[in-house]
Amino acid sequence: MLARGVSRSSVIQSLKVMLIPGRYGLERWSYVLQRVSGVVVSLYFIAHVLETGNFVGGITVWSVPDYSFAERAYEETVKLLKNPIFDAGLAVVGFLVALHTINGIRLVLAHFGFSLGRPRRPEPFSPPPSFSSKQRALFWLSISLAVFALLYTLDSLMKVFRP
Amino acid sequence: MVEKVKFKVFRYRPEDGGKGFYKEYEVPVKKGMTILDGLIYIKENIDPTLSVRYSCRMAICGSCGVRVNSLETLACHTQVLELKRRVIRVEPMRNYPLVKDLVTDMTPLFRKQKALMTWLIRQDNVEQENPTKQYLQSEEELERYLQFTYCIQCGLCYSACPVVSTFPDFYGPQPLMKAYRYYADSRDEGGEERVRLVDRFEGVWRCHFAGSCSAVCPKGVDPALAIQLLRRSALKG
Amino acid sequence: MRERDLMLLHYITGIGILVFGSIHVATIFFTYPFQDTIWETTLRFDSIPYAVLPVYRNALLAASLFGLLLCTTVHAMNGLRSIITELVGARKRWVEALLFAVGVFLLVYGTRTILIAHSLV
Repeated sequence: MLARGVSRSSVIQSLKVMLIPGRYGLERWSYVLQRVSGVVVSLYFIAHVLETGNFVGGITVWSVPDYSFAERAYEETVKLLKNPIFDAGLAVVGFLVALHTINGIRLVLAHFGFSLGRPRRPEPFSPPPSFSSKQRALFWLSISLAVFALLYTLDSLMKVFRP
Repeated sequence: MVEKVKFKVFRYRPEDGGKGFYKEYEVPVKKGMTILDGLIYIKENIDPTLSVRYSCRMAICGSCGVRVNSLETLACHTQVLELKRRVIRVEPMRNYPLVKDLVTDMTPLFRKQKALMTWLIRQDNVEQENPTKQYLQSEEELERYLQFTYCIQCGLCYSACPVVSTFPDFYGPQPLMKAYRYYADSRDEGGEERVRLVDRFEGVWRCHFAGSCSAVCPKGVDPALAIQLLRRSALKG
Repeated sequence: MRERDLMLLHYITGIGILVFGSIHVATIFFTYPFQDTIWETTLRFDSIPYAVLPVYRNALLAASLFGLLLCTTVHAMNGLRSIITELVGARKRWVEALLFAVGVFLLVYGTRTILIAHSLV
């Protein structure tokens, strides 16, 4: 009703706006990363629930099936998952979970008005109070932890693939 | 010293319809020349059909908001040589209906401001129209909202906001900031009413603190901060 | 539900995921019956089927796993609702109905898995 006369952008255009941070700075990057990580981790969560359910017999079984069933289900899952794409995917999920967690804490703090600067008279060349150093520090902490998680996974992968 | 800089200007004629196109103009640039000066040079010397809205030329009126190299800015507030580019792309602001070339229709912004009642609300109308005494404020009371009064309604924040781009029903940074400016004013008595207005799906909850509004504001107003503070009030209920 | 309450729920479930998720990861890291870390075992795909299930015979750990399931489902579906609505550009009934259905399915299916793991003898 309020948007009367404004043409709504197509899903493709919206995706472009959501995924390309452009030149708007760090907070816009945080917005993009928080969205992407949220969606990817949600998809991982759905896959994880389905996959663990599969191990105990799929949707129709309501008791633990015998060991041979488990072995078969395991072999099938391994056949599906054992390729570099899923390994890389695991590393990416580790990266995104760490990022979404700390960045999420940063956003909750901001939403409750903590860790932001106070309103003040605008001065030339000084950053807005909402881009406070505490907020920036938390953002970089989320990036650092995410990179650490990524490196840890890659390190594990290296060990695994060493002949 | 005069340099030649290429202006790549977005052109759109409503009677032709379509998506619009970019047209290139070569503009001689001197030190101190702004984007607006360049656009006026084009209009006066190369192509008189170019439409651009401007008035004060000194970042007071907020008429000449455009996107320069994919970043919202006031055309009169940006010097060409400071950009250090040989090609400068000038586009109209996003999220507004386009009128012609670089001119946008700001109606959505003002309509949303009106919907959020961005004016001083007093319970006693008689006293408001004919005040019998002075309503003094302390320095602290002033500081709570002073920053947000610097807004010149240029609408750059509304154009930069990624949520308005994807979800046009969202009130947007400027109207919400304006709502907080009055909410935080000690003379205002619209407190609960204001929180009720912004506590909606299209209200403060759609802000995801992408900070683009504050990043482009030419007057140092911090809409992102105002929205977070407004949201805190809404969360407290 | 009011948007404000949904947002509060989003924060609370987020903190819940932090708590229960830490327990979830720690459980598997510390109780997994192998010398290698779980991460390497997982990546190498040479663990034994059912090896991790006995951990959840412990009622407290099973309950915390259910807590994680509940919190993650609510948090993920509410987050997706916000993102999809903004992507589509307008509030749509079908988006909310679809996500609600997916959430209920995930809760039921996941709870079943936890119950089966818990009752494993």
